[in-house]
Amino acid sequence: MQPAALENLITALRVLPGVGPKSAARMAYHLLQRDRRGAEALAGALNHALTHLHHCRLCNNFSEAEVCEVCASPNRDKRQLAVVEMPADFNMMEATQSYGGLYFVLMGRLSPLDGMGPREIHLDRLISRALDGVVEEVVLATNFTPEGEATAHTIGELLKARGLKVSRLARGVPVGGELEYVDSGTLAQAVRDRRTV
Amino acid sequence: MSADARVNNEPGFVLHTYPFKETSVVAEVFTRDHGRVALIARGARRPTSTLRGLMQPFTPLLLSWFGKSELRTLHAAEWQGGLLAPQGRALMCGFYLNELLLRLLARGDAHETLYDRYVATLEQLAGEAGRSDYERATYLERILRRFEKNLLSEIGYGATFDVDADSGAPVQAQVRYVFQPERGALQASGQPGCPVSGQTLIDLATDRFERPATLVEAKALMRTLINHTLGAKPLYTRQLLRELTELTQ
Repeated sequence: MQPAALENLITALRVLPGVGPKSAARMAYHLLQRDRRGAEALAGALNHALTHLHHCRLCNNFSEAEVCEVCASPNRDKRQLAVVEMPADFNMMEATQSYGGLYFVLMGRLSPLDGMGPREIHLDRLISRALDGVVEEVVLATNFTPEGEATAHTIGELLKARGLKVSRLARGVPVGGELEYVDSGTLAQAVRDRRTV
Repeated sequence: MSADARVNNEPGFVLHTYPFKETSVVAEVFTRDHGRVALIARGARRPTSTLRGLMQPFTPLLLSWFGKSELRTLHAAEWQGGLLAPQGRALMCGFYLNELLLRLLARGDAHETLYDRYVATLEQLAGEAGRSDYERATYLERILRRFEKNLLSEIGYGATFDVDADSGAPVQAQVRYVFQPERGALQASGQPGCPVSGQTLIDLATDRFERPATLVEAKALMRTLINHTLGAKPLYTRQLLRELTELTQ
């Protein structure tokens, strides 16, 4: 029988995705035996994040201030609003350095079979955000999975009905892609979505 | 490992996937000769995995797997080609089909006819583009009603629509009926059940959904029958569509 404190720690670690009882025990032993300072830092960081991190009032991304840095920046084009699924997608969009507008982070996607509906992805907040009178174009940058497509379609319909210009990221053969080696699904979609030059 | 534990190049579709451990997914697939099967796709969530973009709903696949437990191991999946994914509203209908199959099919029961019907239905859903809003709505409704009817009869809950369950006589087009999932069509005289006209019952039995009133009544009737078969837990897709309608208003 293990001490209650150790038992509690192992149970607590299991909230992490992909961590079962074995991994949790391994983590707990490591933190307690090999890296007590790391454990302290982890506890502190968790506590700090929980009390100081909120969702930005405008873009719904994580932020310490009420409005995050990107939303507050004067150098951003406030007429464009890109809708992404997760903070990781936001980071990727930023890394491209090709988009200068603002964002809205859904923190998920419409996924009917997982019970993720319009409420879970804050569609009402997105609608009022997009209708602030400054935004002219909404760029749908959700994933090209069926769930991402359903999300994009739904948001597109809702915003078009309210008179906004809505665009969707293009899709097709990747940069540097050779047709011979591109997967057939992508190629089929590229044929379907071909454009006039 | 015995020979029957390995299946090669089986045509199938992913109905839904769940993340599993750090980098894998569990995919509920619907295959032609093995029915609904749960497959674990190892490493399918790694950035470089070739399975990553493949294990998605509405993609025609050739699947190869092995194992004998409830959860089989996928070892290859190949894009089969030839089918375009449904878009927009039709895509939502596709999720509804998948949820119905997930909820109503038992694992490992082969339903070849239903599988072929599913493929044909996906084709029809993908072919809805270019219609006007009203046309599209009724077009999609007709597709869904046919699929629901086929699904129910395929899994053994098929109903006889055009026979009066009391008298055994054919249903009369001009008479009002109520439909009870356990019994069938009864002449309406205040008993519980889904109210429906004789004409709708005849149309349902003969797969004709051209009359607007038939579409409306058939929707309510199929809903009653499906709810009866599903039990208490509601369908997520239906709830989602309802919430979306609220947002539109």
